[in-house]
Amino acid sequence: MSKIKFIGVKKAFPGHGAEAVIALDGIDLGIGQDEFVSVVGPSGCGKSTLLYLLGGFLELSAGQILVDGKPVTEPSPERGIVFQHFALFPWKTVMGNVEFGLAESGMPKDERRAVAQRYIDMVKLTGFEHSFPNRLSGGMQQRVALARTLACDPDVLLMDEPFGALDAQTRHILQQELLEIWRRQKKTVLFVTHDVREAVILSERVVVLSARPGRIKAVLDTKLGADAPRTAVEDLCETIWSLLREEMALTA
Amino acid sequence: MRAANAIAGTLYYYAPVALLILCWDLGSRLGLLSADLLPSPEATLAAFRAVLDSGELAQQASVSLFRESMGFLASVVVGTVLGIAMARIEWARVLIRPVVTFFYPMPKTALIPILLLWFGLGDMSKIAAIFLGCLLPVVISSYNGARGVEPLLVWSARSLGAGKFGVLWKIILMAALPDILSGVRMALALSWLLLVSAELLLAQKGLGFMIGYYGETGDYATMFSAIIVVVLIGSISDRLFLALMGWSLRWRNLSA
Amino acid sequence: MAQPLGVKKPAGAWFTAFKRGPARFAFGVVLLIAWEISVDAGFINPYLMPAPSAIAIRMAKELASGTLVSDTVLTMYRAFVGFLSASVVGVVIGTLAARNAPARWFFDPLVSIGFPAPKIAFMPLFVLWFGLGDSAKIMMIVFTCVFPVISATYLGTASIDRYLIWSARNLGVSRRGIVWKVVVPAALPQILNGLQIAFPMSLIVTVVTEMITSGGGLGGYMIMAARDALSEQVFVGIFTIAIVGYVLLNGFDRLRRHLLRWHTESMTAM
Repeated sequence: MSKIKFIGVKKAFPGHGAEAVIALDGIDLGIGQDEFVSVVGPSGCGKSTLLYLLGGFLELSAGQILVDGKPVTEPSPERGIVFQHFALFPWKTVMGNVEFGLAESGMPKDERRAVAQRYIDMVKLTGFEHSFPNRLSGGMQQRVALARTLACDPDVLLMDEPFGALDAQTRHILQQELLEIWRRQKKTVLFVTHDVREAVILSERVVVLSARPGRIKAVLDTKLGADAPRTAVEDLCETIWSLLREEMALTA
Repeated sequence: MRAANAIAGTLYYYAPVALLILCWDLGSRLGLLSADLLPSPEATLAAFRAVLDSGELAQQASVSLFRESMGFLASVVVGTVLGIAMARIEWARVLIRPVVTFFYPMPKTALIPILLLWFGLGDMSKIAAIFLGCLLPVVISSYNGARGVEPLLVWSARSLGAGKFGVLWKIILMAALPDILSGVRMALALSWLLLVSAELLLAQKGLGFMIGYYGETGDYATMFSAIIVVVLIGSISDRLFLALMGWSLRWRNLSA
Repeated sequence: MAQPLGVKKPAGAWFTAFKRGPARFAFGVVLLIAWEISVDAGFINPYLMPAPSAIAIRMAKELASGTLVSDTVLTMYRAFVGFLSASVVGVVIGTLAARNAPARWFFDPLVSIGFPAPKIAFMPLFVLWFGLGDSAKIMMIVFTCVFPVISATYLGTASIDRYLIWSARNLGVSRRGIVWKVVVPAALPQILNGLQIAFPMSLIVTVVTEMITSGGGLGGYMIMAARDALSEQVFVGIFTIAIVGYVLLNGFDRLRRHLLRWHTESMTAM
């Protein structure tokens, strides 16, 4: 049984003229327990929209999204999300942000401080508990966002181009840290990115969306064992890029 | 077609005002609003017509408008010059800025009593009240505006032969204009407050005086019509100023 | 030492030190001294503009008798009550208008007409309705100060980043909790901007309402003194309210900066 199931998912937005904009046109996808799946596609293909629908922030136009067999209706800490521009609460300190979800669930103060501290340590921000986000670099802010979401111990992790706003070095470091956390904590991850290489390196499967209206163009297996040839990553990237090039030629 | 849309849009926008007037009218008719406390729309309109026809409204209004324009324009001119001078000339800033920062927080209306002593009940006390009250806000916004002028603008002007004053000041004025105009807009609203306050307290003529006088003599309908006239003048002048701002800043590329 | 062409001569060390320290008071002190001398020498009519020394003596007398203190406290009380009420009402209406279309339709024209209008014109009507006591004054303060708060709150709450709201919902905040837990804190910089406009306005209006109703406080004190031709007392009032205003507004600015220490943008101020 898949952990997450997209069944005939469609999403349309009201357009400026009379025409509605169809962001997603019939997505059928299953994601297994503890799987790490990436979604890539040309700009505007609706990959973030897919994430937002799974998160419960937008309403479906048609179809269903099931998590553990139950339909998604509302946002929930069980499907934690991390956004590209961090979306930290700027008026709260690092500790305030990380313990936010715990406070909402009613956890008593001492307990949630301890839990939050664990996650702050996990993302290597010990010592910054009382800093405000405006004093932190982009990479540090994204770590706070990650800690904040993870502190609620979600089953599912939704990531919306989380490293897109960071410089290459920080991106690389955080990618490795994310993999470690995923391996240790065992979560189901849906990862949206425009960076093909990142998708191939991080995930076990890559879903390639077509240009708008978004449909699934291909799903590739990108699980790379220790004995994979050196060129495996490049080959996979090239395959995906050629798929994307096809799509972009259509919209050009 | 577009004009019809615009008119419909305006009507829809101001509909809540019409709604309130309707409630006012209903309240008066049903006796919910005592005529002693709030005259009916009919009575107010009738009183308005009366003072309009008799010429009294025009007379009082022209007195008020004269005082307002004198005081306000003086504060704008002097304030702008002072503010820009402070931004450009170091010793001016060093000496004047502390005085400005000390007096800026003082409630401007506190100056009215001393003006009564100095100028009595005539025009000068109102003009001075407006001038002194509006001066500092204009100084500060001109100062901030002129301070923020790109040095590159000034350097290129100098290299084209602009001297210390004259042309150079004109360029700085234009570059600082957005900030100056925002400050002037706030000063405009303040100027009406000062005018009405001064006319309520120390005047024998003018719209503010009218309000006070008819209030005291119990002619609430005329009083209320004068109040409405004053409120409308304040509002409309702001709208006109906004339009002026838009026109004079039309060369600016306003992003978003 | 020769300077390269076109470079302004750097200010001497003396001037820089002067700028930072004594200069701040220099002009004011010079003015005071000039004022004192002018009155003593007879250039200025002491009736119109008493010497600073006379004003200082008068102030000491008024302080000793306690009337100045009680008037100051009364003015501050009215201004505070009016300001706080206006703040609460303004934030509620502003937030409501930002999140509720009918509310916005209703308040939009009222605020746009009312904001620039001299609402003090209504004072005689307020006196008719509420009498000569504190109520009329406080109502007028609220009536005047609520507009900038509504306007600023509306601006702040209408432009909230949707990802902040989504993050909060994702972390378990209910739909109703969003307003107080996310929208208002995120809009705090804008709200405080509005409060920063409303606060001095409350003092301005308090003083003038006290004058109009001859109702005590520093405004009432000054207008009565003026009517009795007591110029020294009027100046005592002016300096007192100037000091009160200066202290309060600086305090407010500090408070604002403390509340916004998490905020990235710095506001330009003099």
